[in-house]
Amino acid sequence: MTMFKAFFLQEIITGFRRPMLYIFLFIFTAISAIGAVNLDITFGGATGTVFKNAPYVISMYTANLSIIALLIATAYFNNAALKDYQNNFAGILFSTSIHKASYYFGRFLGSLCLATIPLLGVFLGFAIGTQIGLEYGMEATKKIGALAPYVFINNFLLFVLPNIFVFGAIIFAIANKWKSTIISFIATIIIIVLYLLSGTFMNDISTEGFAVLTDVTGLRAYTIDTKYFTPIEKNTEVVSFSSWLFINRMLWISIAIATIMISYFSFSFVQKQQKIKRSKKKVNPTKSSQTSYLPTINRRFDIHTFWLQYSSFFKSNLYTILKSNTFKILLFFGALILLNKLVNGFEYFGLQSYHVTSKIIAFNRPISMIMGMIITVFFSGELVWRERKSNISQVIDSTPHSSLTVLLAKISSLIVTSILFDILLIIIAILYQLFNGYTNLEITVYLLDFLYTGLPTYVIWSCILISLQIFINNKYLAYFISILLIFLIEFLVIDIFGIKSYMLNLGFSPSYTYSDMNGFSRVVVAKNWLNLYWMLFGFLLVTIASLFWIRGTIKGIKNRYNVAKKYITKRYAITFLTCSLLFGIIASFVYYNTQVINTYHTITDIKKMQASYEKKYKKYEHIAQPKTIAIKYGVDIYPNKRNVSTTSVLTIQNKSNTPIDSLHYSLFYFIGERNAEDVQKSKWIKKLHIPNSKLVLNDEELGYQIFQLETPLAPNCSMDIILDTAYISRGFENEISNIRVVENGTFFDSMHLLPSTGYESYNELTNETDRKEAGLPPRKPTTTLAEKDSEYLQENYISRKASDWITIETIISTADDQIAISPGSLVKQWNENGRAYFHYKNDHPSLSFTNFMSARYEVAKKKWNDIDVEVYYDKSHPYNVAMMQEAVEKSLDYYSKNFGPYFHKQARIIEIPKYYNFAQAFPGTMPYTEGGGFITNLSNKNDNNIIYAIVAHEMAHQYWAHQLIGANVEGATMLSESFAEYSALMVMKNELKDDMKMKQFLDYDFERYLKGRSNETQKEVPLLKVKDQGYIHYGKGSLVLYALQDYIGQENLNEALRTFLNAYKYKEGPYPTTLDFISYLQPKIPTHLQYLLTDWFHEITLYEYSLAKASYKTLPKGNYEVAVAINASKIKVDSLGNETKVPPHNWVDIGLFAEDNEELLVSKRVLIDQEEMSFTFEIDQIPANAVIDPKRLLIELNIEDNTYPIAKSK
Amino acid sequence: MNLILNNLNKTYANGVKALDNLSLEISSGMFGLLGPNGAGKSSLMRTLSTLQEVDSGSAFLGEIDIIKNPIALRKVLGYLPQEFGVYPKITARQLLDHIAILKGVSAKKERKELVNYLLQKVNLYDKRNKEVKGFSGGMKQRIGIAQALIGNPKLIIVDEPTAGLDPGERNRFHNLLAKVANDVVVILSTHIVEDVRELCQNMAIMNHGQIICHGKPQQVIDELHNKVWEKLIHHHELESYHNTHTVISNKMVGGKPLIHVLSDEKPSEGFQQVSPTLEDVFFSKINNN
Repeated sequence: MTMFKAFFLQEIITGFRRPMLYIFLFIFTAISAIGAVNLDITFGGATGTVFKNAPYVISMYTANLSIIALLIATAYFNNAALKDYQNNFAGILFSTSIHKASYYFGRFLGSLCLATIPLLGVFLGFAIGTQIGLEYGMEATKKIGALAPYVFINNFLLFVLPNIFVFGAIIFAIANKWKSTIISFIATIIIIVLYLLSGTFMNDISTEGFAVLTDVTGLRAYTIDTKYFTPIEKNTEVVSFSSWLFINRMLWISIAIATIMISYFSFSFVQKQQKIKRSKKKVNPTKSSQTSYLPTINRRFDIHTFWLQYSSFFKSNLYTILKSNTFKILLFFGALILLNKLVNGFEYFGLQSYHVTSKIIAFNRPISMIMGMIITVFFSGELVWRERKSNISQVIDSTPHSSLTVLLAKISSLIVTSILFDILLIIIAILYQLFNGYTNLEITVYLLDFLYTGLPTYVIWSCILISLQIFINNKYLAYFISILLIFLIEFLVIDIFGIKSYMLNLGFSPSYTYSDMNGFSRVVVAKNWLNLYWMLFGFLLVTIASLFWIRGTIKGIKNRYNVAKKYITKRYAITFLTCSLLFGIIASFVYYNTQVINTYHTITDIKKMQASYEKKYKKYEHIAQPKTIAIKYGVDIYPNKRNVSTTSVLTIQNKSNTPIDSLHYSLFYFIGERNAEDVQKSKWIKKLHIPNSKLVLNDEELGYQIFQLETPLAPNCSMDIILDTAYISRGFENEISNIRVVENGTFFDSMHLLPSTGYESYNELTNETDRKEAGLPPRKPTTTLAEKDSEYLQENYISRKASDWITIETIISTADDQIAISPGSLVKQWNENGRAYFHYKNDHPSLSFTNFMSARYEVAKKKWNDIDVEVYYDKSHPYNVAMMQEAVEKSLDYYSKNFGPYFHKQARIIEIPKYYNFAQAFPGTMPYTEGGGFITNLSNKNDNNIIYAIVAHEMAHQYWAHQLIGANVEGATMLSESFAEYSALMVMKNELKDDMKMKQFLDYDFERYLKGRSNETQKEVPLLKVKDQGYIHYGKGSLVLYALQDYIGQENLNEALRTFLNAYKYKEGPYPTTLDFISYLQPKIPTHLQYLLTDWFHEITLYEYSLAKASYKTLPKGNYEVAVAINASKIKVDSLGNETKVPPHNWVDIGLFAEDNEELLVSKRVLIDQEEMSFTFEIDQIPANAVIDPKRLLIELNIEDNTYPIAKSK
Repeated sequence: MNLILNNLNKTYANGVKALDNLSLEISSGMFGLLGPNGAGKSSLMRTLSTLQEVDSGSAFLGEIDIIKNPIALRKVLGYLPQEFGVYPKITARQLLDHIAILKGVSAKKERKELVNYLLQKVNLYDKRNKEVKGFSGGMKQRIGIAQALIGNPKLIIVDEPTAGLDPGERNRFHNLLAKVANDVVVILSTHIVEDVRELCQNMAIMNHGQIICHGKPQQVIDELHNKVWEKLIHHHELESYHNTHTVISNKMVGGKPLIHVLSDEKPSEGFQQVSPTLEDVFFSKINNN
């Protein structure tokens, strides 16, 4: 025991004497403390109403930082296992009479104690952060909560200790077995890879179980356990031995104990004899070539020698890498990760895609790049230090070769290594395609992808990192700085300095998304130039580095500088100057294109503009303006130049009752094309020609214009104005700002062409902190339902004050090999001047929501009654076209029968590039992304038919949105999105006729809603008041309406919808609200179910059911009586997430299943009015399980306890 | 071709003066450089091999300015460092071939002949396809010598070359060097006095970064003619002899210290005059310094 203590303490004392412990403790403390007080850091889910120091957040920090702690643990345990060997002390130590267990476990437990210490920094950090927060009054702003000490204890016992124990056991065992630091670190990499793998399993609910098992840190298990946590739960629930986490901890702790015991019993003090290599072949001494005189040789130092030297260096360097274990293991793991991605790469709803190349390169490319970076960083050090590590440097250094030769050889061997890796992954990807019967091999696509993204990156970073190793001349410091450069430059340049230019973002260039439709897109132009720019930068760096390449034992900056000067020869100077000149030219050219002719604004600039726009023009928000009543678009698309020019005639009418003497327009949006965060000033140039008017205000910076009419527009009078809108591409941009206009797959809409009428509230700053900084008052939320403000009811939430229902006509032209599409019937089609022209006319007045599209489409046409059912698709994606047409027909069937007539003469589905991840409904015209339905593999009939769901949803919008549209108040999206989602579910239900399959599909809606509310940053609202909250209007809306049709009957619900639709379709204001809908719905609901309106629409309600008991007994008649006991509760949630139990009073199904949980034998709807109840059934056969709410209609967090196996009663 | 060193100075960051205003002229033939450990021999060797910088001074090999134009010197240099390793997983032939390429032996056939010749000369021809990493110390040293001889060097610097060689190998090495040393400068840095006496036409002794003795071996030995005396004494007397005499060395003979003393006449009773050796010169120079 004393011996154990000695080893144990020795380990700890050594650890305490080293700075590493304190450094990492400090880092973890700092990260956590800063995370706890800084409001901008949302890591760990600390957003919205979740406290910065919520128990959930602390657990997320602890579990996430465990991954970094893994590296620390590796260092400690590996060192503990190996130090006696590495110091060659083992021989001495083990010849003494030390006790094996004391030695082994003393070291192990000592390291365990040490390695847990840095993670304690998380707790220290949160304690400090909380204290600081409290002192600065963050408690009052609900950002910091009280901290209970047992949060730390639980996290320590559930994450810190088990994680370090598990990592430690594995690393210690491996280190003892192989006695190699490299192998220990490789084991660490494997654990990290497992962790990353587990992340891919998280993407789909059907594979979550794997995620739990494969993740060593317990993070995935905890994430799944808490995925439905509301902000309040996140603030109060402390991590504990809950279901998944418990399983995960038990599994890994058992593995760890087994590992350490096996390792212990196989551990021996007797050192294994070094393997003696015996060469099998006997070398026959060849006497014949013996020469006894010194051969005469001619030495040359010309270009030929240079090549010989280069290739000799190159071969031996490349050989070193390819032979190394590190490379082999990286290769193995790269291949493994790719295979995992290929096999498990799920889309949503558990579906996979056909193996089209665009999909596959989205898998192999990122892996190649990450692995390429790892290879480049790691081997840059290995190669630069290769001669010194082998201690042959003095011999090599004193030979007459140029340092540039070695350098180029090292760089190229590094590049070739990455290339080999890359090509191997490409081969795997192609083989996988072939294996799955995809024979349209697009090798050129792989090759181009490699040439655009792979090769330049390898070249650039090999140059940079090798140079870095040379300049810094300390392998590990250079590694550290390499990693900083890769990760931090972007952060530094973009986030700190706000400079968004790839010219400063070391080694990076803009990235493209490869689309089967639009190929690599125009981004490659900018990408190639920037690649060239960075490659020349790299070459320049290497030329300089070659001067500083250490030959011999030169030390100190001054000496190195002096030596460097000696190598500046004439030839060197010429090379250097040529490189510099080229770099200068390319840099200027790139600068000219990305900064001069394509200016862009920083986020700060845009925010300033937004603020000043609001300050200057908010006063005009409510002035009366005419509404548009008709538009004739003239649109010319030039796909190859990526230009669009349009001239449109807008007819505007004064629908107010006072004359209007001036017209106000906002010409741009400050909204990104790609996503809401990526704000920019839109680059569509708009010019208005208003007859008999004077431009009295023209704010070019903010795009606000006021035209004074010579004669005011009297009420009900109308006039025509002309609008020219153009988008012109010039040169190449730093980042493509407009993905709407492309070579093949142009898709933009009326939002891009039309100016906003008057003041545009979308241009306001939305973030409250930004608003405060800019001195703006808090933003007025969407008009609430209760405010029966008649002005707002006059506007619908799509076209708002600009228009109501308008007539639309479009003449659209494009390149003659493309088809241009816009809503409406095709009136005329012709060719003129080598361009294709199309004239479309809407069959019915519609919302002012028009799309303009052009691409090289294949067309599939079909008739349903008088309606053309058309799919426009890319020739490489014919898979699901027929299914889409069928879905359109099924939708038309159901909707026209249940809701009313379809008012267009066509229903078109049009493929758009995968830059968009959605489908959208314009009048009779529905763009749908190639990334989704067009390549989804639905050959398995048992899978969820997502295409049916999506097509039916968009078709439903032809009623819900395009016939009936909600007023611009809360709840409006329920009337379009929830109704469309419900309609789609009904089309599917009628098609499938299988409640259990519907249940499988609805699972995803439950997931969407429950996870969504867990991540809500503002507050959850009842369905009736939904704002732009997808998880409510899609998720909850569809669940509630689907359940409602089950409770009150499909016919009744549809009748309510139909009468509601008839009352409002194509009507101008007042537009309907959700309350109006309720007034149509209420009469259709029987009295005993009226509570559903309150529970599901007016309030937020959760249910919790569980089965406590289920048994059967045989009745005298020979049949059986099944008795079940249930527990039930009903929970009301307020807007902050506070949950209150209320007495249950609701109806629920209880069902009995046969063996396989698929066949529902009997189901009975019962009234629950107590928290504990029991029911009996009579049944002819013995069922296997009793299930409460078998169709999963009610919103419950926990459904595992809804099933209970039925036993024979005693 | 002569090697001329003028006022070389080098002080390390830790304050150690490795070269202290060192000047020396070396003509072609074998030149032995003796000195105790830490005398600055290796610093000098590295400087001459263009692997280390000096603070000041100049060094010329014929026309070649070693300090300013290392590139030119490397073309005529053969260097065997004091200790050196080899790349893993590379055979003797591959290694020599690689270095031959680096030294500008560009014709494949010539290179092959040269490598074979050298491998035979260092008696490693049979082992030519074996990994060098697995070689014994002596074998590795022979490879080192072979590589230093590649490319007809005009200046050959060998730093402690015979350490770790058995007597037979040492002889072979001496013969090899002697053969090439006719019209080139060969600097043999060593602390083995025997090597210098046997091989070198010229020699110098170095200590504390300075040359403290320079000449032909016999010439420097002759300087001590009639001045070296020896006596077998007891252990306890050693200190008193040190105080009273100029003791240049002591070694154990039959368990008793045999001391050599420097003196113009017979120091005292019991001393016998001996004919001086190079070793006496070496010890007298460094112990009196």
